[in-house]
Amino acid sequence: MVKKKLSFEILLLLAVFTIATCGLIYELVAGTLASYLLGDSVKQFSFIIGVYLFSMGVGSYFSKFITKNLLNTFVEIELLVGLVGGLSSVVLFVLFESVSYFQGVLYFLVFITGCLVGLEIPLLMNILKDRVQFRDLVSNVFTFDYIGALLASILFPLVLVPQLGIMRTSLFFGMINTLIAIVVCIALKKELRRRQILLLKGVLCMVILIVVFIFSESILSFSEGKLYGENIVYTHATQYQRIVLTHNKNDYRLYLNNNLQFSSADEYRYHEALVHPAMASAKSVKNILVMGGGDGLAVREILKYPEVKHITLVDLDEGMTRLFKTNSVLTGFNKNSLNNKKVTVINSDAYVWARECTQQFDVVIIDFPDPSNYSLGKLYSLNFYKTLQHILSADAVVVIQTTSPYFAPKSFWCINKTVQEVLPKTDAYHAYVPSFGEWGFTIAVNNPSVSFGSVNRKANEKLRFYDYDFEGLNNFSKDMLANDAEINRLDNQILVRYFDEEWGKL
Amino acid sequence: MVKLTGTNHILGHRLWAKDFPNPTKTITTPLLIVGAGISGLSAARQLRKKGSTDFLIIEMENHAGGNASGGENKYSKFPMGAHYLPLPNAHDAELIQFLEEEKIITGYSNGQPVFDETQLSFAPQERLYYKNNWQEGLVPRFGNSFALDEELNRFFAMMDTFRQAKGTDGSYFFDIPLSSISIDSKYRPLDTLSMAQWLTDNSFTSEELKEYVNYCCRDDYGLGIEGISAWAGIHYFAGRKHSASGDTVLTWPEGNARLASHLKKYAKDNLSLNYLAHTVTETENGVQVLAFDAATNTSVRINAGRVIMATPQFVNGYLMPARKELAKNITYAPWLLATLTLSYKPDEPGYPLCWDNVLYKGKGLGYIYDQHQSVQQLHDKTVITYYYSFAGTDTKKSRKELYKRPVEYWKDFVLAELETAHPGIKDITEEIVVHRLGHGMVSPTPGFIFGAQRQAAAKNTGNIYFAHSDLAGISIFEEAFHQGINAVNQLLHDTAMDT
Repeated sequence: MVKKKLSFEILLLLAVFTIATCGLIYELVAGTLASYLLGDSVKQFSFIIGVYLFSMGVGSYFSKFITKNLLNTFVEIELLVGLVGGLSSVVLFVLFESVSYFQGVLYFLVFITGCLVGLEIPLLMNILKDRVQFRDLVSNVFTFDYIGALLASILFPLVLVPQLGIMRTSLFFGMINTLIAIVVCIALKKELRRRQILLLKGVLCMVILIVVFIFSESILSFSEGKLYGENIVYTHATQYQRIVLTHNKNDYRLYLNNNLQFSSADEYRYHEALVHPAMASAKSVKNILVMGGGDGLAVREILKYPEVKHITLVDLDEGMTRLFKTNSVLTGFNKNSLNNKKVTVINSDAYVWARECTQQFDVVIIDFPDPSNYSLGKLYSLNFYKTLQHILSADAVVVIQTTSPYFAPKSFWCINKTVQEVLPKTDAYHAYVPSFGEWGFTIAVNNPSVSFGSVNRKANEKLRFYDYDFEGLNNFSKDMLANDAEINRLDNQILVRYFDEEWGKL
Repeated sequence: MVKLTGTNHILGHRLWAKDFPNPTKTITTPLLIVGAGISGLSAARQLRKKGSTDFLIIEMENHAGGNASGGENKYSKFPMGAHYLPLPNAHDAELIQFLEEEKIITGYSNGQPVFDETQLSFAPQERLYYKNNWQEGLVPRFGNSFALDEELNRFFAMMDTFRQAKGTDGSYFFDIPLSSISIDSKYRPLDTLSMAQWLTDNSFTSEELKEYVNYCCRDDYGLGIEGISAWAGIHYFAGRKHSASGDTVLTWPEGNARLASHLKKYAKDNLSLNYLAHTVTETENGVQVLAFDAATNTSVRINAGRVIMATPQFVNGYLMPARKELAKNITYAPWLLATLTLSYKPDEPGYPLCWDNVLYKGKGLGYIYDQHQSVQQLHDKTVITYYYSFAGTDTKKSRKELYKRPVEYWKDFVLAELETAHPGIKDITEEIVVHRLGHGMVSPTPGFIFGAQRQAAAKNTGNIYFAHSDLAGISIFEEAFHQGINAVNQLLHDTAMDT
């Protein structure tokens, strides 16, 4: 009789230990998920911990209303915790992009889990109150409860998240909760009513959790796809960036580190505007330089001029240019431009290359990523444009992608002003690209006799957007102007500050 | 991997016992410069500019440059001493001319010099690890109370007043070089008390301000506010006329070794390295210098018409026993530098990696990102140099500790401090080079700058001229540069007078 009592007590205390661990794991999963998906980890963790503890209080309050079939109820609660807690991360991942009330769902799940967990300890104490001395009971239960929490907090960041990932961690502990319920069912069969049904429920929950666990990887990619709102067709990580290609109806989109590079539906607007004004107005277009533009789309436009003898493309990322030379979908877009015999692809740092280059070019097309950090900012500095001078032929035309004059007018005109310090004749123009918004360019030349509106030649194919009407793109409405921008220099990097400020407002 | 480098103290310490072989060779020269640090190199340049090419210059180390030396590894150059030059004051014509010659000044605009963009420190320049986050700039700003902001503003306003102040003769009270300050002695009493005392006397009591000023003092002078005179502490701010507008400074990956290499070309045909001068005696018609050639283990006798001792006074005390008294009690702060090669950039919460990265209330003075002045987008590895000055006023004790502790101790010391801002930095550190400077720089302790000792030490005697930054009391490039020029000008004047 004593042995049975002891094993009963021991079993339940071990249960306490394990469910304390599980309880804290659910809280940590919720907090980590919240900061991962919503950002601002300090706030998220703070709220999650608060809500969780609060709901545990609510659960503890309601425990007093459970007067009959305590052990049964305990098992049922374990099963519910396992199910809800275990599946919570899955539900949250999947729902994230689709619902605007994501935070509501998050806190609701935290609340439910917390309530259920809050019920566990008081319930357990009520179950054991007649079998164990009160002093020992209280001490033992809380001891195991708190120690269990320490185990969870150590395991979570060091073992569970790195090895299993968040989704599988919560599923795994859901299974542990369910397992406890099943073990109690089996070991304490004498104490339970309608044990068979309980066992069945337990097995069912276990099966659900195991199945979801097995398919968690595909659920993750499904939800990541939802994150983009599109289907991911291809992903590729190079040394420098992560390239993602998505497909939605007839539109292919390319993302570099989650920043949209182009949409196949409307990139022609961007690239025609980037390339043709310069190619039409330059005195000569024999030797062309493209900096950045590793997707080959600008090169595709340049190749429409038979006068072109040679195109040099300088892009830092060898993984990217190789991808755009070999992938069948992507070479479909750029019409295999990077493999054209007139084209030489150089994978090098543009700034360093420009310093060391000994050639001269007739047209220079600069399609760098936006100046979103101090590293990229160097490529928009006064000194960079000064460095370009020695590789420009006397009448060379330079055109530079200069972000959006609508979203970031100060940044836009800062670059324009900086270029003007080096190349005396400078102008600007813009085009509307639906997937980006209003996007703009600075065009410049040393020789003032070159007019950007002049049409010395046209492409040998009909263009879809640009009609060689430079003046048409040359007008800026009031809200796309800024006249207090300073010159961007290496020692002030003022452009990055403007850019941060302006895009941060959105 | 851990490496140990430093000034060749083992060779230098042979001056204690002076167990050198007797000279086996005699060289005669009209002019000898002892020491090829900035003062010596600057003297060489001035000589050549004035048309004198017949001189010798000897140097103990296996390289010239002194505190303006640098190193290089597979991934970056890095400084092994001073690493930047503030923009010159507009009236420092000689320094400006030098910068123009070396194309560091590329032109003029509205009468102001235009500096080569790539040699100005790139943005973002400085950040402070304060309250567990990186903030822009080195003055604590995050979470300041009104009282603290008020105190900071009052302090900087006061420094600005000192900066603008001119004496009855129209010269600045605080200026660079020191030799150009006003003869009006209005603020000289500030030299008699410590900067710490001055801060207290002027009701600057906040810990944050004191920490900041302490950092500034240690940066330029080695010792902190307790050990440095108030005049010197104020001079840090007031002597530089550009610092009010928050202008950037000139800097290079190899630090001031860049400036040394510009100067070296004036000395290259006359320079002998690995030569330790050990005895200097005045003779009837000149000076006899005995020097030990460490490369061949022989000594040489140099008979010179005149000598410029471009060596620190603590060394001169050994070379010329008569000067030992003069050299006593001049304070030299030991320094330790550590260059770390990291597998990748440390993470940057709050503000990105800057040129100068300081930890608030750190043991050291933070670290410099050696590849900051690069136009490249990416680097294979990250190289940083950590700076530590021994701020204890018992510099002899600090020096002993510097050399007594094994390099492993210093490695752990440096990594432990950097760990506070960059958890896990130990795991990404591939190589660390520890550089020891036993006598890193002169420290202007209270009473030194306007004291009799400095005045006496700077006096030339007979055919021996003295040129070193420690004679100015402030160990900066500008002072050493002018010391060399002034010694040569004086020497040439005296030579002309004689003939």
